[in-house]
Order: sequence, then structure tokens, then C-alpha cells
Amino acid sequence: MATLDRWTLASAFARSFLIQGSWNYRTMLGSGFAFAMLPALRVLFRESPAALEASLRRHLEHFNAHPYLSGVALGAVLRMEGDGEDGEAVRRFKTAVRGPLGGLGDALVWAAWLPAVSLIGLALYWLGAPGWVAVLAFLAIYNVGHVGLRVWSFKVGLGGGRGVARSLGAAALTRWTERIRAAAALLLGLFVGAAFEGEPGLVAAGPAWAALAAAAFVGGLLVGHRLWRPAAVAVVAAVALLATWGLAS
Amino acid sequence: MELLLVAFAGGVLALDATSVGQFMVSRPLVAGALAGWILGEPGTGLLVGALLEAYLLVLVPSGGSHYPEGATATVVAVAAVTASEATGALPLGIAAGLVWGQVGGLTINVQRRLNGRIVPEPDAGDPGRVAAAHVLAIALDFLRGASVTLVGAWAGRWALPTFADSWPLGAGGTNGLLLMGGAVSAGILLRSLGGFRRRRILFAAGLALGLVGARVL
Repeated sequence: MATLDRWTLASAFARSFLIQGSWNYRTMLGSGFAFAMLPALRVLFRESPAALEASLRRHLEHFNAHPYLSGVALGAVLRMEGDGEDGEAVRRFKTAVRGPLGGLGDALVWAAWLPAVSLIGLALYWLGAPGWVAVLAFLAIYNVGHVGLRVWSFKVGLGGGRGVARSLGAAALTRWTERIRAAAALLLGLFVGAAFEGEPGLVAAGPAWAALAAAAFVGGLLVGHRLWRPAAVAVVAAVALLATWGLAS
Repeated sequence: MELLLVAFAGGVLALDATSVGQFMVSRPLVAGALAGWILGEPGTGLLVGALLEAYLLVLVPSGGSHYPEGATATVVAVAAVTASEATGALPLGIAAGLVWGQVGGLTINVQRRLNGRIVPEPDAGDPGRVAAAHVLAIALDFLRGASVTLVGAWAGRWALPTFADSWPLGAGGTNGLLLMGGAVSAGILLRSLGGFRRRRILFAAGLALGLVGARVL
């Protein structure tokens, strides 16, 4: 790893923020991964354009991971390439980590962290905080976790190389996910209570609307994600019907 | 000029959703505030953003999934709502945003198919081509977001005033109707966080805090 200086590593890390820039159904993150690796590969294979092309071909292949945790793979592969490990070993490593990095990241970020912090912003808004406070609180809290996770994952990958699985296991991401999900349940209650009593709220709308909203909440709870699209269609249809009726009468 | 600024904002915010950074400035709460600020009505923008955030709370920008595009939808909704001062502007704008989110989502799928043609085959190891294809894909995503926003905002601002003035519900009923859709998302989220039986104590504690907090604050 002595051949990769801080600047090159920083460049690869900065490019990891663009890793989904060319996301596609054929190679998914593959080309983004190669794009992020490029500054380091240019340094590592400065003396051998053929080796650079061979390495780049490996990294253009199909790859997928959660974007925030892709740094684990990026850092580890940089370490492996720097240590001169065999190309086939690098390929096997990427195949082995892509599933776990996707699953862990989706559960931690998309299903826990993002909704929890969104609920903070929404609760603040409905509790009557100034709008900019709700927006800035959301952005600041979310990105402390986001950027922190990216930095941590890149460092863990660089430090662990092909043995990065041990560091991932020790980090107990699943336990953190569960804690955040529990906090999100509390925040969801806070938001629902604030939207019921606050402004614009259901109390001001009247008991009939409050009862309908309660029924909609129970419907979502019982049916789950399958109800989202029909509910959105129902709201759009109701608005369209009322608008047409208003125009006609 | 205003519409071009809105379209530019839509393009930048669309980039944040997947291609660049994912700092979540593309979430409706932030996109609504920004669009409202551009259009001189930050309060309206924030209200639209908060309502759409409540709707889209359960939909996440997961790489391979098909989802409505919240950022451009929110900017379009705010542009539409600010075209009229009537009570009907809000529900019509939210409905326009929900519909336009689907349109944005479809264009994302088209863009991803196009990216599949732009990026080099794995057997091509030309560094220059890899970088150029990646940057081109990001530039196209910006243009896609900006175009989706421009068309939606123009159509919304043109059509909405015709219907907004004759909207039959008062402010209370309108908010009730809009919050009902958000209530479905809240129920879905509680289910995905572990379900009512498992989370009932935490949910109830939060609910009590929210009810008291909204009265006191």
C-alpha cells in the first residue's frame, strides 16, 4: 500500500460519492466502481498500461452494493490491488461481498436511518418549529450519519483488505439497525401525534377526517407496501373528482 | 426565467437522488423548501414538501428498485401550487406531484437502460472511455431531471388555476383529505419497523409526546 499516497486515496474516496452516476441494469455499479478506482489504478500501474487495462476490465464487471457501504469494497480492493494480489482473488472477493454490502446497507440506511431522520424533520415541522429548522435538522443529522458511514466503510476496507468481513462483523451493523428502527418507531408516534393535533392537522379538519385517517393508518399497518400505490391513486382520483365537480357546479 | 431556474433546481436535485452524493437534498422536505424559496413562497414550498415527504416516507432510492421520483415531483408540485392563491391549489399541486413522480420514475428507468449502452463493455479497459462514459451518464441525468421538471412545472402552472378557484372543500377538509394519504404511509412504516405489537410501547410514547407537544408548543 506504500505506493498509494493520501491524495490518491482521497480522490478515490471523493469519487465514491459518484459511484452510482452510471448505474445501469447491465453492470449496475460496475462502471461506477471502475470510475472510483481509476486514480488509484493509474498510480499502481503507472509502469504497465496493459496491467492497468486488465485491472480496469475486472472492475467494469457487474457489481452492486449499497452506495454508502461500497467504500468497504472500494477500500479493500484498493488494498488488494496495492498488495499485488491475483486478479482472480480480487474478482472472487467482490463477488463475495456485494450481497452482504447491499443487504446490510439497505436495512441500515434505507429502512432505518433515512425514515428515522425524515420523521425528525416532519415532527419538527408539525410541532410548529420554523421551517428552516426542520430542513436543516434533517440535513445535518442525516449527513452526520451518511458521511460518517462512508468514511468508516472506506477506512475499514482499506485497513482490512480481503479480511474486511471480520471488521464488518465486529461493527455490529445489524444491532445498530435494530436500535435505529426502535427509535424510528418512537419518532413515528411523535410525528403522528403532532400531525393529529398540530397545524395543518386532523383535529382542525374535523372528526370525520380524523376517523378516515385512522382507518387509512390501520389499512397501511395491516396491508403494508402493497397499499401505497392504491392509496396514492385514490388521493389523486379524489382530488380530480372534486376539482371536476367544483368546476361543473 | 423563473421556470428555467426551477428546472435547473430540479436537475440538480434529481442528481442527488441517485447519481451524485445522495446527501438527501432531493427529499421532498428539502426540495419543497428550496423550490418555494426560488419561487418566493418558502412557506408554501415547505408545506408541499412536508406533505409529499409524509407520502413518500416509505419509498427509498434503493439502486435497482422502481420508485416515484420525489425531487422533481416536489419541485413541480410547488411550482403548480404557487400559481394560484386559492385553497384548491394545494390538493391539486400535491396530486400533480404524485402523478409527476411516476413520470419521473419512468424516465429514471429509461435513463438506466441508456446508461447500459453508454458504459463500456467489461472487455474494454480504456481508462479515458470509462471516465467519459461516467461523466456523460451524470450529465444526462441532470438534463433528464431538468427536462422532467420544466415540462411538469410549465403544465402545472398552466392548468392548475383553471381548477383551483372552484375547489369545493374548505381548508380543514382539504388538509384532512391530504393527511389521509400520509396516514397510509405512516401505517406502512410502522409495519416495516417491526409492526404494532412489537413497537406499540415506543409508538404510544411518541404519540403521547406528539399530542402534548403540539398543544404546548
